Amino acid sequence: MKYTIGNVSRRSFLKTGAVLGGGIVAAGMPLSQVIWAAEGKVLTARSDTEPNTLDPAYYTSQLEVDYMNCIYSKLIQFKPGSEWGWEREAAENIEQVDPTHIRFRLKKGIKFSGGHGELTAKDVKFSFERIVKNNTPVKVEWGSLDRVEIEDDYTAVMIFKTPFVPVWNISLPHGVGQIVSEDAVMKATKDGGNFGTTPPAFSGPYVLADWKKGQYILLTRNPDWAGQKPGFDEIRILTVADAKTAERAYQAGDIDYTTISLDSLATLKGAPPADTKIEEFPSLNYVWIGMNMDHPKLKDINVRKAIQWAINVPQILDTAYSGQAQVATGTIAPGIVGHRERALVPPEGDLAKAKEFLEKAGVTDLALTINCLNDSESSTIAQTVQAQLSQIGITVEVNAQDPGSFWSTGMESEGERWKDLQLNLMSFSSLADPHVSTTYFVREQIGVWNWERFSNERFDELSAKAVTISDPIERAKLYYEMQDLMEESGAYRFLTNGRTPIMYRTTKVRPAMRPDGLPLYIHFKPVSA
Amino acid sequence: MWLYLVKRIILAIANIAIAVTFLFLMIRAVPGDPAAVLLGTRATPEMKAQLHEQMGLDKPFIVQIATFFGGLLHGDLGFDVFSQRAVADIVFEQLPYTLELILVSILWAVLVAVPLGCYSAMRRNSLVDQVAGVVTVATIAIPSFVVAVYALLIFAVTLRWLPAIGVGIGFWDGLIYLILPAFAIGIGWVGYISRLVRASMLEILGENHIRMARSFGISEWRIIARYALPLAILPTVTILGVGIAWLLSSAVFIEVVFARPGIGTLIVNAVNTRNYPIVMGVVLVTTFLIVAATTLSDVVNAFLDPRTREKLGHGKR
Repeated sequence: MKYTIGNVSRRSFLKTGAVLGGGIVAAGMPLSQVIWAAEGKVLTARSDTEPNTLDPAYYTSQLEVDYMNCIYSKLIQFKPGSEWGWEREAAENIEQVDPTHIRFRLKKGIKFSGGHGELTAKDVKFSFERIVKNNTPVKVEWGSLDRVEIEDDYTAVMIFKTPFVPVWNISLPHGVGQIVSEDAVMKATKDGGNFGTTPPAFSGPYVLADWKKGQYILLTRNPDWAGQKPGFDEIRILTVADAKTAERAYQAGDIDYTTISLDSLATLKGAPPADTKIEEFPSLNYVWIGMNMDHPKLKDINVRKAIQWAINVPQILDTAYSGQAQVATGTIAPGIVGHRERALVPPEGDLAKAKEFLEKAGVTDLALTINCLNDSESSTIAQTVQAQLSQIGITVEVNAQDPGSFWSTGMESEGERWKDLQLNLMSFSSLADPHVSTTYFVREQIGVWNWERFSNERFDELSAKAVTISDPIERAKLYYEMQDLMEESGAYRFLTNGRTPIMYRTTKVRPAMRPDGLPLYIHFKPVSA
Repeated sequence: MWLYLVKRIILAIANIAIAVTFLFLMIRAVPGDPAAVLLGTRATPEMKAQLHEQMGLDKPFIVQIATFFGGLLHGDLGFDVFSQRAVADIVFEQLPYTLELILVSILWAVLVAVPLGCYSAMRRNSLVDQVAGVVTVATIAIPSFVVAVYALLIFAVTLRWLPAIGVGIGFWDGLIYLILPAFAIGIGWVGYISRLVRASMLEILGENHIRMARSFGISEWRIIARYALPLAILPTVTILGVGIAWLLSSAVFIEVVFARPGIGTLIVNAVNTRNYPIVMGVVLVTTFLIVAATTLSDVVNAFLDPRTREKLGHGKR
């Protein structure tokens, strides 16, 4: 019997398959790469999740900003490299006229896609003021911004109610600084509201060409882009939630650039895949053990200090991160203004001193609960703390929770659970300004994000003053003191700022990273270039 | 038969309604706030209140569940405030990936396991039967995610014969991307089904009507295919109906290991972020799948088994 499908016989199908298969194997090329092969320079990268939105006024994560940096323009952008700094992007000139005024002049010829015209001062005004007027979740990143006054089509002045120094680090070069087209947004949303995951117009070097949910996002060159040509014709960002899967996918040749997990770092550094470079960057995150100062068991500062001194941080980092993370000295990460050289309590702690504090408190048979997220890293840290505190006679029960439950534990608006909160393993991400790493510990945040219920008038005064000081040395002094105050309260044991290790194929890509190891895709270059 | 079908469908609808209500209650009993997860540290009380209002969480519980079921009557699974999209769009965008994974996994497992089970029964205690016995029990014992990790390391990372992650583009490409995940899920089922078929077949082959057929000189293969297999396959059909729940839970792990889209990944993320509309949408669809599969297997069973057919046709004896 002759089996045919259309004009293809069974035999010819098998023959063709064999030839193709043989060719692929002979060429030594992974099948996955053959399938993805396309014309032009293509970067295949990995992301652990997908954007919730591509509207800068409503952005929820750093990952979304990575995409926005490719599809929109900003007045200024972060420079790739090991030190924090910015360079002009859409702005031809930009200057701080006085502490509350920033004047900028736009480059001419930056076009929005879809026939939405040239990027003008009107669009900048719309983009920035929209965030403040709509009271969006990211409004706080504009600080005291009052309005943008237009002088002509390309020139405008940003006016702040009070000085807001972080504007240069967290507002202009980051999420809220992305410029969208007023015309396009108003047509798409009618009221200037959230346009979600469908950008109505692009103004960056790339456009969003395709998005297969749960699979990949494809960025291709923006044909209307008149600026410097980016290195790659296409950027394919595959969604791979699990870091280990991403590492296997890299080894299989499916990905050319990915972040890697800290517990795989030592192994991969010891035996890196072929043509691979592994680099590490200090992260801006901060991880700490917090203690609820209002809880009856932790009200006595001596109990809190006993816990601080009983916790051996390097031991925790060895267990949870295979020793690949650095000890934190506070909430402010290395490289950022206000980063302390050392913490007040030495990282190793001191059990004898811890016992002394406990004796001073007159507490015996203390039993506590530590809350943490239910991922393996957090559970390991909590269990190590449990073991360490048992050395001074404190019994600790680990309560691992899923993110939905964990992130509302200390919130007064979510019921009475905050009253039972005792020890808490916390991790916050941050931006390139110390303000973001300290602002959640003011009194206003008690029962919101200040779960330690740390209350210090001096801290609040310093927090308000620090955003108005432009001299980095003077500003740093305030942040040193603020972190000292936090630590002296006994409510904080700082663990680590984490690290961001990346792995990339040296034969394919030359990445360009921010100092904290986040990708600046528009500066990535193909190796042949 | 028709009355039986109608009864099964009514029962299926009741099952779905009870399961969905129960899960609706359960997920809200667990502490957590979607606003805290979505908005993060930037959430102010006003913003949280706004999000609660958009998600309908500010309304009494009874109103929430009534709204959900009311929406269902109009084919509306709700709206996802996080992504500003209809829940139905999100769920039905991901569902085909999970369904194709489950179907291909079970299909290849059945195609291998049924002949293997038949052969083992026909050649009882032969070398092939003994080897098959050991191997199939071993495959049942190994969890699918372990098979997945090793299959990925061997065939994707070391040999580079197959892609490691994703679902590919187009039909043929998609099939290539399905090989490893479907292998990982299906391998345990090969063991399970082949043992089941073997055991049923041995029982059937010893029955009078088979001996009668042999005495008429009918060939052994014809006896197996025509008279024994339709009866021996019945327990497998029942197990496949119930097994859809197992397959769905295996798919959750496999979708993570192979970074495949699907409702497994979707529900894990939705539960973690307390994205209630998505959770309810996925639960509804998966409950429907499970109930539909068990109902279908019952109906197929009734159709294949002459005894049941007769019982349904003539009432209880």
